[in-house]
Parts: sequence; C-alpha cells; structure tokens
Amino acid sequence: MKMTWEKTILSVLLVFAVIAVYSFGRQEAKALFEQPALITSAGQSADGLQASVLAKKAELKADLAKFAVSKDLENHKALILVLGASMKGLGAAGLDTNKEKERIAQLLAEAKKRNVPVLCLHIGGEARRGQLTDEMIGEYLPSAQMVIVVKSGNKDGIFTKICTAKNIPLIEVDKILDVVVPLKASFKR
Amino acid sequence: MKRAAAFTAIAAALFLSTCRPQLVKMPEPPQDRHAPFNYAGRKGMVVAAHPLAAQAGLDMLKEGGNAVDAAVATAFALNAAEPFASGIGGGGFMVIYLAKPKKVTTVNFREKAPAAATPTMFANKGEALEQWRTERGTAVGVPGMLAGWSYALEKYGTKSLAEAARRAIEIAADGFPVSLTFSTINKDEYEKLLKNAGETTCYLNGGVAYEPGDTFKNPELAATLRLITTKGIKEFYRGEIARKIVAAVRAKEGIMTLEDLAGYEPEEMTPLQGTYKDFTIYTLPPPGSGGLHLLQLLNIVENWPLKDWGHNSVATIHHLCEAMRFIFADREHYLGDPDFVTIPVAGLLSKDYARRTREKIVPDKTAAAYPYAVFDPAQEKKENTTHVCVIDKDGNIVSLTQSINDFFGAGIVPEGTGFLLNDHMADFSSNPKSPNAPNPNRRPTSSMGPLIMFKKGEPLLVLGSPGGTRIFSSLVQIIINIVDFGMSLDEAIEAPRFFSYSVSGKPRPISIESRIPEATLKALEALGHEIAVKEDYDKYFGGAQGLMILKDKKIILGGADSRRDGVGAGY
Repeated sequence: MKMTWEKTILSVLLVFAVIAVYSFGRQEAKALFEQPALITSAGQSADGLQASVLAKKAELKADLAKFAVSKDLENHKALILVLGASMKGLGAAGLDTNKEKERIAQLLAEAKKRNVPVLCLHIGGEARRGQLTDEMIGEYLPSAQMVIVVKSGNKDGIFTKICTAKNIPLIEVDKILDVVVPLKASFKR
Repeated sequence: MKRAAAFTAIAAALFLSTCRPQLVKMPEPPQDRHAPFNYAGRKGMVVAAHPLAAQAGLDMLKEGGNAVDAAVATAFALNAAEPFASGIGGGGFMVIYLAKPKKVTTVNFREKAPAAATPTMFANKGEALEQWRTERGTAVGVPGMLAGWSYALEKYGTKSLAEAARRAIEIAADGFPVSLTFSTINKDEYEKLLKNAGETTCYLNGGVAYEPGDTFKNPELAATLRLITTKGIKEFYRGEIARKIVAAVRAKEGIMTLEDLAGYEPEEMTPLQGTYKDFTIYTLPPPGSGGLHLLQLLNIVENWPLKDWGHNSVATIHHLCEAMRFIFADREHYLGDPDFVTIPVAGLLSKDYARRTREKIVPDKTAAAYPYAVFDPAQEKKENTTHVCVIDKDGNIVSLTQSINDFFGAGIVPEGTGFLLNDHMADFSSNPKSPNAPNPNRRPTSSMGPLIMFKKGEPLLVLGSPGGTRIFSSLVQIIINIVDFGMSLDEAIEAPRFFSYSVSGKPRPISIESRIPEATLKALEALGHEIAVKEDYDKYFGGAQGLMILKDKKIILGGADSRRDGVGAGY
C-alpha cells in the first residue's frame, strides 16, 4: 500500500477539485437584478407557473407571460427565463419546437438590446431534462447573468460546465421551494 | 434470458417451498424497473399500481377476506396512494369470477351525467372546449365509485366497508414518499391543480409540485373516509359530503345537483363474452367500450399469421393499426350508453364481420378511408348490457378498472374532503348528434376493459389497464404477446407498444414507443403511415396489471406495468 508521489499529488488535486465544485455549488446569490421582473417559460412546461408562485413567495414584483414576446419586456427590469420543455405544454399551446425556440431567441436578443439582465431557472429536476431542454440549456444559458437550479437537474454537471466556462454565478438548491431564498436575494429591494 | 431466469427462480422457490415452506423467499424484483419480472404466489395475489395498495389487498386476503373484499381494500388504498388516477370522486367497472358456481358477472359504477346535461352543452365552446370538458364544473360526472364498491361488498364480499377502508385511512393519515411517477404527473398537471385546488391544497407541496422523496399526506381524505365508514355511503350521496361536492362543482360553473347524487345507482350487468383461438374472454359490455373493441380486434387478428410476421414487425404493426382504425370508425358511429342507444353488439362481435374487415386490409398500403360498418337492424336487439387484479385462495377473481379520467381528474377538491372529482364528462362527444352526446343521466362511453380469459373453462389470465382509448389495443397486444409469441406475463406487459385510430374515417398517426427500431418506423412510413414516436416506456399506452393462473403448476404469476408504479403482492 505504498503511496507514490504521483498518487499523492493526484489525491490532493482531487480533494481541491471536490472543494472547488462544492464551493461553486454553494455560491451565495448576489442582488444583481431589479424589479419588476418578467417571467416566461422556455419550453412551455408548468415550471414557468411554478416560478411565478416562487416569485410571489419571494415577495418579488413579477409578471408571468407564458408566451412573452419582445414588447412584453417594456416596463420590466429583469427577465426570468424558466428552462424546461414539455411536449404536452407545447402541444396544448399549439407550438412546435422551432416556433418556441424562435420566440426565446428574439426575446433574449431584445433583452440584450434593452440591457435587461437574464436570470435562468431550472426547477424541474432530473425529470425535466431531455433532448429539447438540453438544447435550450446549451443555447440560452450563456445569456444569463445568474442561474438557479434544483440540484437533481444538474447531476451530470451540464449547468456547472456552462456556468464555469462563461463565468456565470450558479446557485444550486435541493428542492423547488428552496429556490425562494436565492431568488429573493438576487433582487435589489 | 430474463424470462427464463425469472421462471427458473420462481420454480426453484416454489420447489423449495414444498419442502420447507417457512424458508421460502420469492425472488426480489430487479433493480431495473423495466426488466420483466413475474411476481409469484400460491394462494392469492393482488396486483395494483402502487405497492401500498397491493399490500392493502394482500393484508385483506390474509385476514380472511375474499377477492372482492381485497379488490375493494386495494381500490380504497389506491385513492390514498395513487390519488391522481382514481378515487371516490370517480367511477369504474368490475369483472367478478365466482369460483364455486363458476359464474362471471360485472358491476358498472361508471359516472353518470347530471340531469341538467344537454347534447349541446359542449358544442360551440371554441378554443375553451377542452377546459369545459376537463377542468370546469361541467367536466364532473356524478361519481359512482363508493356505490359500486359498496354494492360489490354487500353482494359478493364478506367484510364491511369500514374494514375495506382501514388501510386507506392509515395511508392517507401517515403519508408515504412520492415516487418519480407521482412527481412527474404532479408537475404535468400543476396548472390545473393550482387553478382549481389552489396553492394550499395537499395535492401541491407548499404551492409547488411534489418532488421524488417528498412525503405526501392527506389527513382530510383520512377524515372523509372515517366519516363515510362511520355514517355509511349515504353521507357521500345525501349528506354533508354531497353538499360539498355540489358546492365545489357549481362554484366552477358546473350543473350537478344534490338530486343527481342522491339518485345514483350502480348496475350489475351480464358480461360480454368472446373467443380468441382456444380462449374464452369475459369482459365489460357497453358503456365500457374497451371490452367490445378488444374482442373486435382479437376477432380480426385471429386469422392472421402473426407468428410468421414476427413480434412488432412491420407487417404486424401495419395490420393491427389498420384494424384499430376500422374499429374506431365503428366506435365513433355506434357507441353510447346502451340504456339509451342501440349498439349492434352482436354484429360488431361476429366473426363474419371480422372477416369482412380483414378483407379490407391490404399488406402493402394504408386504406383510402375507414368507414364504419353497417348492420341489419332487424338482426339486432337492444343490449342493456388504475387496474386491480385479485385472486383469493378459493379461486375467486376480480378484475377492476377505476378512474377519475385525466390525471388528478378535474383538479377540483370539494372543500375539506381531500378527494379529487373526476372529469369523465369529457368522455362524452362534443358533437350533439353523436350517440355518445351528453344527455341527462347517461353514462359516457368508457374505454375501460377489465377482462378474465379462460382456457377449457378455467381462468388463465386476468388483465386490465388504464390508458384511455389505448386500453383495448394495449390489452390485445399483451394477449397476442402471450398466446402467439409465447412471452411470459410481464414480458408481454413490458414489450414495446403502438396504437392508432381514425377520426371521421381519416387515419391518425401510429403512436409508437421509441424502442421499436428505426428501420421498422421507416418501413411503416413507406406503407403510408404517419409515425409519432413516444417515450421508451410511455404512460400514454397505459399501465397494465395482470395475473396468470397456472393451475397445473399451482402457481399464480403477477405482472405489473413499469410504465407506472405497479407491483404484485402474493402469498
């Protein structure tokens, strides 16, 4: 069981890596956003509606617009984009994937033009992952100024990877209701 | 290999059991929930969509209850443990086999339309149509569940309603960890629940959806069930609970009255009987359409060389989907409440009609249209005519399908009661000219089709499934998987499924689980089918539960669908 110096270095690096990842996941929310916020879903799952209930619990001034378009950003100082695709939700709304992606792309472009910062939420956990959601995560997450995720949705580190590469603060929480605290802290009073 | 391994394990366990019964341990279900696994028992077994419900039924059997007692105990427990799929706010059907007299009967406790229902009530609703049919008070049919359970217990059971409800009360009061299935469905139906049941409902967790591992408790349901077991079901149909139901329905623009509830009666009916090869099948007559269409489809399939074509081959899927489309044309034209409309049951079930339908199906392309059949009315007489399977130690059997329709029903919870009301009015047609248009006190056509299949007069297979209009096609696929392709019960249940239908004679796409190879899908497209790929194991195709009684081997096998949280519990 003699430990070689290579193994020792590797073990130390591993410990540092674990601490780094843990610390990253434990980031505190900073008050980067101003109210009122516009909430919309990317993918038409019910998570957009859940986010509006969470915003109410966080005592935020926020308006939910399921199908928000560029002009809805008027009079809003932040955009909360709730990631999570639902084929049922898209079907009920009479939307196909391309139309939904086009809507979000235009909304993000307008937010950038108006200097409206974007807060991305993923609250559906592991069950609200899948090809379409993952595509949206890849496309929209780089536009965010902050990301809050329910931990089980980041099991494979998809959010950690993008947020690390783009230097975006990432807050991980255990449960949907735990989103309330960092959400509240993310907004200036 | 899995099938062989499972059988070997079961056989070994049973062999050992004959030597040293106290040491017998049945094989544990595999880690992979989708891996086919047959539960085994020798005296009795319950298969249901939640482990706590199956256990409630098994406890009842061990306490000396018969199959009807255990089925009702399981059904009650499902209200507590799987509340999104069924409960006392809904209705259902039961097929009962009594071993001693070798008699099969059915109990129909399907919901009824309120007396104020009219054929035009869902017409001209425009884009809001689905809301009126599924989420508003108009969606709620008069619940039949308690009346049906109570009728079955009194006539064929040995235990009281209070004894049957005991475990359900404990489950509702103590709570249980939420499964991934529960959580996913809760998230999918979140909007409806928030709108109708409100942020503080027990069906949401602090106003948001439940996550896997959260504890779900329903103390209000426990209290409601205690009240019902103390005062009797009259409390539900004529007492304080009735008043709360009517208030909740009418607050959401519904039309139900206290008289509707007070007037509800279940109905005992003669089962529908048909054959498939050497087997005799007893199932539900209309207004349950699942049994009728299942027999229709089996009649058509019977003379096709399925074994030569191969399981889930292009030819098999093509021919079955074409047959389903013709059956849906008949359904659209004929099906309604048999107490009010004439359904040509004999014609639809004749082998000659099956032959004529078979002749319309060609192997190399889809049909140009799918017209309904025409029968000679003179030859027809008017026929008044989450799944649970139970068998007891005396061989009595219950095959029970019950529902509140969509997951979480209409999302409406009468104040303080903890139970969800159904949205079965959505099973009526919105077309006022349809035989299945809403009318006072009519029962909407149901897709349910619990069945018991016999070989040489002995029960062999007990089967049923939720899944709306997919029910009969899923059950037929399970039956042919067993009979024609030699699969074990749970292999047959877990095998990939497909479904198609027609609307006004026009074909709809084939919905198909993604486990079917891409090459098969391409070949089906080449025949003219549109394809809609679903998930690997998609709840869209139901959640079948089954029992197989191998009398010669003295084994009862249970198969539970991994598309939901089904399990078996035997002894």
